[in-house]
Amino acid sequence: MAWWKKGRTVDIRHVEGKMETEKYVYTPGIAGLELAKALIEGKILGVKCGDKVYVPAKTYCPDFTRGELVEVKGPWTVETYTIIYEDMYGGKLEKPQIIALLKPEDAEGGLIHYVNIDPKTIRIGLRVKPVFKPKDERKGLLTDIAYFTIEH
Amino acid sequence: MRVAIVGVGWYGFKPSAPELSFREMMFEAAVRAYRDANIDPRRDVDAFISCQEDFWEGIAISDEFATEPIGGVLRPTMTIAGDGLQCVGQAYAMVKTGAFETIVVEAHAKPSDILSIQEIYELALDPQLRVLEVKNPLFQAGLDAVAYMRRSGARREHLALVAYKNKNRGLLNPRASHAAPVRLEDIMESETVIYPMGRHEIAGFTDVAINMVIASESKAKSYTDKPVWIEGVGWATELGSGVVEWHSWGRMPSMRTAGLMAYKQAGIENPLKQADFAEVEDRFSYMELLALEELGLGGVEGVPKLLESGYYHPKGGLPVNPSGGSLSLGVTLEATGLSRLLEAALQLRGEAGGVQLKGVKRAIVASWRGPPTYTSMVVVVSSS
Repeated sequence: MAWWKKGRTVDIRHVEGKMETEKYVYTPGIAGLELAKALIEGKILGVKCGDKVYVPAKTYCPDFTRGELVEVKGPWTVETYTIIYEDMYGGKLEKPQIIALLKPEDAEGGLIHYVNIDPKTIRIGLRVKPVFKPKDERKGLLTDIAYFTIEH
Repeated sequence: MRVAIVGVGWYGFKPSAPELSFREMMFEAAVRAYRDANIDPRRDVDAFISCQEDFWEGIAISDEFATEPIGGVLRPTMTIAGDGLQCVGQAYAMVKTGAFETIVVEAHAKPSDILSIQEIYELALDPQLRVLEVKNPLFQAGLDAVAYMRRSGARREHLALVAYKNKNRGLLNPRASHAAPVRLEDIMESETVIYPMGRHEIAGFTDVAINMVIASESKAKSYTDKPVWIEGVGWATELGSGVVEWHSWGRMPSMRTAGLMAYKQAGIENPLKQADFAEVEDRFSYMELLALEELGLGGVEGVPKLLESGYYHPKGGLPVNPSGGSLSLGVTLEATGLSRLLEAALQLRGEAGGVQLKGVKRAIVASWRGPPTYTSMVVVVSSS
C-alpha cells in the first residue's frame, strides 16, 4: 500500500519515476540503409577507407575521410569471444550465450554476434560463417544473420 | 604555475544510501570539501564543474540540478558528461590559463536508485547492434579479457590474483563496502558470470558524492599546508568507442595516450621508477593488468610476472590499488575516477588510515569510463 494511504512517513522510501525512453526512432542514415538492404540480400557491407576496409559499414572512416561501401565476403574467424552465464542482476541464463567478434579475413573490425556452437569448442582463430535467416524473414537488421557457426 | 587539490569531501561509499537524495549527497560532500579547504564557496570559488550523465540521474538536462547543492548559484557552473577525472583535467587547464584561481570539481553516483541499470547500459550501445539480445551488456569486458590474455600470456590465475589482492586489501579501508576476505581458490572456483570472470572479479556499484577544491599555487598555499599537486593530466577517446567493432580488442590505446600526455606534463620518463604507488582502473579483474601495461608500468618482465612476484602488493615495489580499488570500493559511475583520486590524495596527505603506505610522494591515477566506451583518463599527483 502506498505511504500516503497508510499516513506514515516512515513508509516513504522512494518517489517512483519512469523514464520515457521506450519510444524513439533512429535514422539509419546512408550507410545504415545500404547495410539494411544488403542484409536482406544476404550480404555484409564494410567501408573502404584507403587500402583498408572496416566492418561494419559506416559513412565515415577512422581517419575522418568519407569511405566507399563495399561487400565483404570473408572467410570469417573468431577474433575474440566471451560466454555469458548471468545477466547484470545476477539472473542465471538457462543456456550460456557465446558472443564473439567475428572478423572477415579481408577487413578490419568485424561483427559482434552470436556463435551457435558448444561453448567448450569456442576459441580464438576458429573459422566460422554467418547463417542468414530465410529471405522472407529478413528485416534489414543485424539479426537477419541468425548466428555464426563453425565452417567445415 | 602549479595547480593543487586543496580540499576533499565525500559522502556515502555505501551500496545504498537511502537516507539522502543524490542532490543532498552532493551538498554533504561539498560542505566537507569546503571545510577541508577552509573556503567559502560563495566568495572564493571562480567556477564549478560537475561530471554527470542524465541517464544515471533519471532526469533530463540534469545539469540544471548541478548548481544549488554545491554553492554555484549565479556563478560559472558547467557539467561534463564524463568521468570525474575529465572534470579534473578541465579544472587544471582552466587554472593554467590564469583566468581562474579556485575551481570546484564534483561527481556523484546513486546506482541504488537505478532499478533498470542493465537497460541503461544497453542503451549506450549502437542501436544497430542493440537488436542482438546480448544477455549482459558488460560483455565487451569478456571480449577484451580473452583477447588480452591471449596476447599477454596472462592466465586465469593472474586475473584471480588481482581480485584476491584488491578484495582483501579493501578490508582495511572504511570506504570499501565491497571488500571481502576471499581466498584465491574461492575466486578461481566461483561460478563464471562473463567468461573468463566470476563474481569476485566484476565490481559492484556504490552510492557516493565526491567534491574537490582545486586551486592555483598561490591560492593553494593560503588555503592549506597539505596541498596535493596535480603534476599532469591526460585523457583520450580511442577508435572503437562509438563503432565498438572497430576497437583494438585486448588493448586500450586511449589509456596509453592519456598516460603519455600526463607523464609529459609531469616530466615523467620512467613511470615505474618515478611513481610510488598507483590507483588504476580495476572494475574488472583483467582491467588492472591491461591498465598497468598501457600505462607503462609492466617493466621488462611484463605485468603478469610482476604481479606474481608481489611487485604490485602494498609492500611491493609499486603498490597498485592500495585502497582496494573499484573491486572493493565499487563502481561509482562518473565518480569512479574521482574516487580513486580521492584515495591517492588521502595517501599523499598521510590520511589514508588503515591503508596508509609509508613515505609515498607521487601517484599515478587512471580511470576508464567503462563499457561500452573507450575513454580513459590519467592524473599524476604528488605531495611535494
